[in-house]
Amino acid sequence: MKKRLLVPGFLVLFVFMGMGYTALNKTPEPKTHIVEIKKLKFIPAELTVKKGDTVIWINKDFFPHDVTEEKKGAWSSSTLQKGESWKKVITESSDYLCNLHKVMKGKLIVM
Amino acid sequence: MRTIKRMHILAGMTLMLIGCLSAYSQENPKLSDPEVASVAVVANQIDISYAEIAMKRSKNKDVLEFAQRMLTDHKAVIEQAVALVTKLSVTPKDNAVSQSLLEGAKETKKMLQKASKKKFDQVYIDNEVAYHEAVIEAIKNLLIPESENSELKELLTNVLPALEAHLEHAKMVQKKVSKY
Ligand SMILES: [Cu+2]
Repeated sequence: MKKRLLVPGFLVLFVFMGMGYTALNKTPEPKTHIVEIKKLKFIPAELTVKKGDTVIWINKDFFPHDVTEEKKGAWSSSTLQKGESWKKVITESSDYLCNLHKVMKGKLIVM
Repeated sequence: MRTIKRMHILAGMTLMLIGCLSAYSQENPKLSDPEVASVAVVANQIDISYAEIAMKRSKNKDVLEFAQRMLTDHKAVIEQAVALVTKLSVTPKDNAVSQSLLEGAKETKKMLQKASKKKFDQVYIDNEVAYHEAVIEAIKNLLIPESENSELKELLTNVLPALEAHLEHAKMVQKKVSKY
């Protein structure tokens, strides 16, 4: 009687341990975020992401814009015409701007 | 002294432009959509013509960059306006406001051509600040209220943030130029 219960008991235990193991080791899938460029604004202007997430900027204006790291110009999209988009995997927090319209500013915060 | 004089001339011209536009709108509140379209196109063409002079006369990197931006962006606005009037089967119609803008621009172009090499950047960028301020006012207080077609109104509304960005950009360049 006791033995018969013991086997399924172990089985259940193994299954749970297995689940716990995969849950601990599975890093969450990187996410993709969208920033719209509209009426000379980055929307949202401030975006919090996880390291490794991708951000896609889409130019919805009929004016050309770009996306350029503000302090050193460490990275930059080329000029984005109407409807064009550009993506980047984000590894660190940065302030950015449109180098064509320098009053257009945005911020990426890596949690 | 000269700077003060020049600023007075510019301020005077801006006031004239705004005065002219608002007086016109009070006397003659009916500006048809084809006329609004004409004013919008002319106002953009004028800034392009100033930028073309700057591209030839300036050697300053910030001024050239700004002028290039004006060429690109104001051409984009004209393209949108042309696309819209074509879609609406409307032909922009010449009118007193367009004419007064062109008259004012003639004087300004003379001033830009005559300015000494040394003073050119300052004269150009001061005028850009004044001109964008005047055009923003005119769009808000005259062209948007006067336009009936919702798409025309929308186009004008969408152009405002660009003009405001240009104005801020012009002010940034103005600060740099006045240091030289
Ligand atoms: Cu831009």
